[in-house]
Amino acid sequence: MQRRDFLKISAASGAVAALEGCGNPDHKLIQFIPEEDLIPGIATWKPSVCTLCQSACGTQVRVMQGDAEVVRNGQLGLIKMGLAKKIEGNPAHPVSHGKLCPRGHAALQVTYHPDRIKGPMAVTGQRGSGEYQLISWDEALKRLQAQLGPLATAKQKGALLFLTAPLIGQRRTIVEGFAQAFGGSPVEFELFDRSVLEEANLQSFGIAAMPTIDLSHSNYVISFGADFLGTWNSPVAQSVGYGAMRERPGQRGKFVQFETRVSQTGANADEWIACPPGMEGAIALSLAHVILGDKLRPANAAGALGTAIDGWSTGLTEYAPEKTAAQAGISAATITRIAHESASNGPAVVLIGDLATAQTNGLASALAVNALNMLLGSAGKPGGIEFSPTAVAGGATASGRGANGSIRDVVQLINSSVPKALLLYGANPVFATPEAWQVKALLEKVPFIASFGSFVDETSILADLILPDSSPLESWMDGSPEAGTTRMIVNVAPPAMNPIHETRSMPDVLLTIAQQTGGDAAKALPWKSYEDAVKASLAQYQSVKGGSVTATSADDFWSKVQAAGGWWSAEAEPAAIRLGETGTTIRTTTAQFDGDPEQYPFYFLPFPSQMFYDGSLANLPWMQEAPDPMSSAMWGSWVEVNPATAQKLGIAQADLIEVASQHGTVRAPAMISPGIAPNAVAMPIGQGHEHYTRYASGRGANPIAILAPMSTENGALAWGATRVKISKVGVGRLALFGGSFREDEIDREPR
Amino acid sequence: MARQWGMVIDLDRCTGCEACVVACHAENNIDTVGEDQAARGRAKHWIRVERYYEGEYPDIKAKFMPVLCQQCAAAPCEPVCPTFASYHTAEGLNGQIYNRCIGTRYCANACPYTVRFFNWFNPVWDEPLNLQFNPDVSIRSVGMMEKCTFCVQRIKAAEIQAEAEKRPLKDGEFAPACVQTCAPKAMVFGDLNDPTSEVARLARSNRATKLLEETGARPQVTYLKRGSWNGAENAENA
Repeated sequence: MQRRDFLKISAASGAVAALEGCGNPDHKLIQFIPEEDLIPGIATWKPSVCTLCQSACGTQVRVMQGDAEVVRNGQLGLIKMGLAKKIEGNPAHPVSHGKLCPRGHAALQVTYHPDRIKGPMAVTGQRGSGEYQLISWDEALKRLQAQLGPLATAKQKGALLFLTAPLIGQRRTIVEGFAQAFGGSPVEFELFDRSVLEEANLQSFGIAAMPTIDLSHSNYVISFGADFLGTWNSPVAQSVGYGAMRERPGQRGKFVQFETRVSQTGANADEWIACPPGMEGAIALSLAHVILGDKLRPANAAGALGTAIDGWSTGLTEYAPEKTAAQAGISAATITRIAHESASNGPAVVLIGDLATAQTNGLASALAVNALNMLLGSAGKPGGIEFSPTAVAGGATASGRGANGSIRDVVQLINSSVPKALLLYGANPVFATPEAWQVKALLEKVPFIASFGSFVDETSILADLILPDSSPLESWMDGSPEAGTTRMIVNVAPPAMNPIHETRSMPDVLLTIAQQTGGDAAKALPWKSYEDAVKASLAQYQSVKGGSVTATSADDFWSKVQAAGGWWSAEAEPAAIRLGETGTTIRTTTAQFDGDPEQYPFYFLPFPSQMFYDGSLANLPWMQEAPDPMSSAMWGSWVEVNPATAQKLGIAQADLIEVASQHGTVRAPAMISPGIAPNAVAMPIGQGHEHYTRYASGRGANPIAILAPMSTENGALAWGATRVKISKVGVGRLALFGGSFREDEIDREPR
Repeated sequence: MARQWGMVIDLDRCTGCEACVVACHAENNIDTVGEDQAARGRAKHWIRVERYYEGEYPDIKAKFMPVLCQQCAAAPCEPVCPTFASYHTAEGLNGQIYNRCIGTRYCANACPYTVRFFNWFNPVWDEPLNLQFNPDVSIRSVGMMEKCTFCVQRIKAAEIQAEAEKRPLKDGEFAPACVQTCAPKAMVFGDLNDPTSEVARLARSNRATKLLEETGARPQVTYLKRGSWNGAENAENA
């Protein structure tokens, strides 16, 4: 019998030890039977996986015995249980290499968050009021079944909308299968979507995946705006590679960053070059022009990727350094020199991401960068761009989906035919989309909304029914990351601890509903539990030679893989790139921006926050208090303004600024920042939550809300394509941890 | 020879990500103080990443520098403490005895590195955040100074384990939380008195420098300057 079942029976039958507390008969503290045999003070380390971004870093969790006050079946009591105390990287993991980013450490606060939803809830007041009452799991499942059951029978397409964050592994398989069985489709949403790069890589290399960059063997790295040491793609793996690149004996690599605002990543560049937003593709082609013209690489090195670009075969005359330099405000000599350096100090690799791909010409810029990589000889080679073999094998990774533009398809879908039911899991589009897209008004039309999330946020507050998932540390983990390693890899880890609240694993809830519904739904999801589904999916790896785990039987393999936190191949096996014929001619266009430059003189640069990521981590106090890397600001929002611009406009540090686009306004205190262009202002993404626990609700301002509904060529949100105007409207406050911004200044500001 | 714990921080590798800052909070039961107190300068980041800009846009550069208690051999914080709460250990650490501290805050006044933090009020954790506490580290209460200890709990645990197993400690066998999590491997920790240790070797680098050495504090943290790139010859590194 499972311990959990024993525990339930024990509690119900009263066969527990009751603690008489201090002679106060009203304050009996029930002592539940301990869940595990742990020795007090002795830690065990359990493998797990971090889920706070798409990297899926392998972790190890320090678990020690402790006393937790919990509620079981409505009864408050004390239970001795294994409690996660610390998360570290798993040294054997091919992505994390034993390291973590700041967010990975803060994941502990998700499990122990005071505002976590502790059990199933049903809305009592109006939808969106945030008034809920706790109900039992039996009641919650009954209500969910009542709403979804008829959809399986009717099998009406579009009746069910399952909106999730991008998922991997059997979690994704189960969600997909469930959605289809109940007349719907899963729609994945994330703000920092990968669709632009996935589409570019599909066209260039036949692989719709984010790149895995072999930085430890790179000699020359050029990045167009990609925050690869902070938040972009697989930051931990990239940081590990970067460290090795810097300190190879006698061969320290060079790093050049092109961007409009000095980011945390950009600060580490040997050469930081200011470039206006939207010009990244043009600069990449300008570099290619020099390499081609000066014959620094074999003429046809870029092959079909090059010739697909308009003008490539005639030497990209439109992108001569003098022309590009004039438009970009960079000297032609610099472009020429960097082209020469990169071509003669291989392996050289070029990256693009974040703001540069969040433009109306983002896809064309990404294709230009791919062609440049091909020309430099780094595509598919050590020290360059490679691709995860598991991403290509498909099925279990998030590649190929997750375009944030997909939420607009949803919105259009709802406009034409309203689904009967909306299920939410891990996605918060009401927060993370421009108000111009009107996502909230459209989601509200759906008659029944249920959420599986652990927190009430702007989107899940619309839910009529909440069936909270357990936190990642309390859950089975599986799946393969899209990038970060070129070894074959699948993460598998059992829960590091038992749930402290009365939450249930979401995939298991779906399986229960499917089984109860019967028919095709039950056939589509035949597993008894999520754990069984994961175990079954692993069988394919047991016979693969040269893996990290070898075993004689399926059961032996299963227990060894769990203990290791996953299975991976011993050797790197980067996926083979397929250079197809790309029929279409690619033209790098001039980026378009919303707002007439006369009235809206500033480029608006929202940037991913190292602490809040896309806003999903603003609810964690460690993240609110950790100083922002470039400004040291805590607990707030700010507007970064260039010092010369601030002086011209009479703006002082911490003055309250109103930032206005054609689509809305936000307010935040000014941060006089030397690292931003005079014709741009920047705001961190992640604050400005209306509803997101006590630590984030009503705090700061959300720059996404005022963005113009501009799109990249493939329909993703072009979050870098909005222009704004600013004005001083009062005085605000900045909570800065650091003092001066320059070494030779003394901060005498009274706080 | 007695141990002298020390660190080397390679500024060429540090990316400013602040994983060290958050790892330290998690390991050492450091509470968050909230917005108002943080605005008054009362947040307690035992390790912080300083960021300095140089130049003017567009010729602008920014540099990162992690700063933590330097465990100075001639620590200015030690002679000014009236109760010897701030003292020097036999293994070269500046120790802080929490229950001796009476909160004069003179140690923080004397410290050139601003790495000492005062508990202006009793720490608050909204339950059940307190379930995350590391049982190996004391919770400080109001009126006490606190600072980086080089994760002395980890040092002690490793020493006890090695002694129980009747073997010497190996270089790199354990590390403070910040060093352990640093992805670009910018931080190295070990015994400076062991000439074969990695930290001792790196401290002899031609890029080595120390912070505010002119104060005479004799800090035990060595910083390695950022490298440069000279075209085809590439550049100086360790």
